[in-house]
Amino acid sequence: MKKGAQAILHFLTEQGIDQVFGYPGGAIMPLYDALLDSPIRHYLCRHEQGAAFAAIGYARSTNQVGVCIATSGPGATNLLTSLADAKLDSVPLVMITGQVARSAMGSDAFQEVDVLGLSLSICKHSMLVLEPQELLPTLQKAFQIAREGRPGPVLVDIPKDILTGLVPESDEQAASATAMPLAIPAQLQTANQLLAESQRPMLYIGGGVGMADAVNELRDLIDRTQLPQVCTLKGLGSANTDHPLYLGMLGMHGLAAANLSVQQCDLLIAIGARLDDRVTGKLDEFAPHAKLLHIDIDPAEIHKRRQADVSLLGDLKVILPQLHCVGDKQAWREHVSELKASKAFPYAFDHSPGQIDAPQLLRMLSDMSAANAIVSCDVGQHQMWVAQHMQFSHPTCHLSSGGLGTMGFGLPAAIGAQVANPDTQVVAVCGDGSFMMNVQELGTLRRYRMPVKILILDNQRLGMVKQWQELFHDERYSETDLSDNPEFSRLAAAFDIDSDVICCRSQVQTALERMLAHQGPYLLHVQLDHKDNVWPIVPPNTANHQMWEQPK
Amino acid sequence: MNYQLEMLLSDQPAVLERVLQTTRYRGFRINQLNMQPAPEQLASRKLKVSMQVSGKQPITILTSQLHKLYDLASLECRTALSPSIERQSTLTQALPRTA
Repeated sequence: MKKGAQAILHFLTEQGIDQVFGYPGGAIMPLYDALLDSPIRHYLCRHEQGAAFAAIGYARSTNQVGVCIATSGPGATNLLTSLADAKLDSVPLVMITGQVARSAMGSDAFQEVDVLGLSLSICKHSMLVLEPQELLPTLQKAFQIAREGRPGPVLVDIPKDILTGLVPESDEQAASATAMPLAIPAQLQTANQLLAESQRPMLYIGGGVGMADAVNELRDLIDRTQLPQVCTLKGLGSANTDHPLYLGMLGMHGLAAANLSVQQCDLLIAIGARLDDRVTGKLDEFAPHAKLLHIDIDPAEIHKRRQADVSLLGDLKVILPQLHCVGDKQAWREHVSELKASKAFPYAFDHSPGQIDAPQLLRMLSDMSAANAIVSCDVGQHQMWVAQHMQFSHPTCHLSSGGLGTMGFGLPAAIGAQVANPDTQVVAVCGDGSFMMNVQELGTLRRYRMPVKILILDNQRLGMVKQWQELFHDERYSETDLSDNPEFSRLAAAFDIDSDVICCRSQVQTALERMLAHQGPYLLHVQLDHKDNVWPIVPPNTANHQMWEQPK
Repeated sequence: MNYQLEMLLSDQPAVLERVLQTTRYRGFRINQLNMQPAPEQLASRKLKVSMQVSGKQPITILTSQLHKLYDLASLECRTALSPSIERQSTLTQALPRTA
């Protein structure tokens, strides 16, 4: 028999977990004490939210379960935003929280909060361990739930006296994996018939492809069928960006050719995507001429926002190889190809002394960085520019808070990704507003000297909110001016992080080269014109084909 | 539209809260609720919950989310006509718990 704390760490080791993120505190102290004698490497972040985002970055950059640890009360509540983030983006995560001892539970004890109650609607599942013999089976169940089917976060709340007391060995065999649904042959046949009959089919690729480890199967499908493709924010990296019929991201800030093609298609094949509101714009005018073939692992997503004409429920790795597309689609391919060419973004890599253009800078960064570089971002204008103008070789290379849209995601997620991929180039592209939300994680970079590169796109504004105020609120700018930002290079210097600051176009290439070649952590502060906005934009309650492609 | 839901739940902490939260969040109103230990399932500590709900959305919006609850053992849904509950159709979804 081991003490609960030791048993947890032994269990984690058996699961192959050798790196965790967290922050110690009273109720979780026994686990931290046991960590001293464990082979598991713990990464101390500077806030529980940072630790949880680091675990998300670890998970998303590897498709493996990320683990983070926090104490009761404020430690646990600080995890909640990240828990919701992982839920909305289907990230496999196990969060372990300490709880006050069972004898004190329900007494409003010091640092006691009902984290189980708080967690219910923002995680895939959550469990409170109330008996020592439940500890190991609960952890086993947590990992299984986090991984299986549509992945997601699981929270396990463990009272302190269970951590300090003896727990029995688990004699429970690992629960058998839940059987994945198998797409019904008749439905597969109907799906293939739809594909054959369609004149203008379009692949709409979501984050489920990467989560299902079905990138190869998707690319094979594209090679076989030569169908045009669009991606969601989370789907970026799934398709080969060099393919002539790859159109990039669709939706509110989607590229023009992507949105127009979807609006014109007559068969929309949603693969691991959920037709969310940022993608569809005005729902009843989204892809108005199209039948919907919806393929997903989660039955709750089928028919949720739009009735599917045919749905295939199951593992994408199994389903995609069974799809075929016969018939002559050449006219459609040519039309999409012409649309793509006519709407191509006019990058002009000039070196004039003018203001820096974020799209061009990011495209240059994309071209200069390693093919397998991992890019995380925060949330806002810079996030959309990254999605529009950078290219990713795999969905694990693009870490972006999609469903929840959580500012402050980028830096800690990059730290987690660098822990998981120590030899890979990792760049955090941050907005000046978002960066300040988890700026304390510079301390984590300093502690571990991880070579994360931070690129701050600074327009001294909460840029996306400002853009909406400008376009849709009569230029009434309310609380979006951040011109009193700290001097970011001095901030970096306080954490022993080298930095540079640039303000004009002629400096961009050299500054990017210097940043990417730097051996340790580095911060590049890029000063932008606050008047720059993200284009295209689909105004609220508007169909995607009515997007505004440029300033009026 | 009114619906009658019959659920068998594992007697785990917060299981009833999960059902109630899911029902509220997915836009349904609870009109009647009854819970009792399932007599035939005493050994495995199961709860039998009957719930009448109403809402404007298709009931599958709710039932597909209830199916995701790991403590849900079974779910049966009937269309009910208020005030007297009249069985119109029985919708027993056999959804895989993959999400």
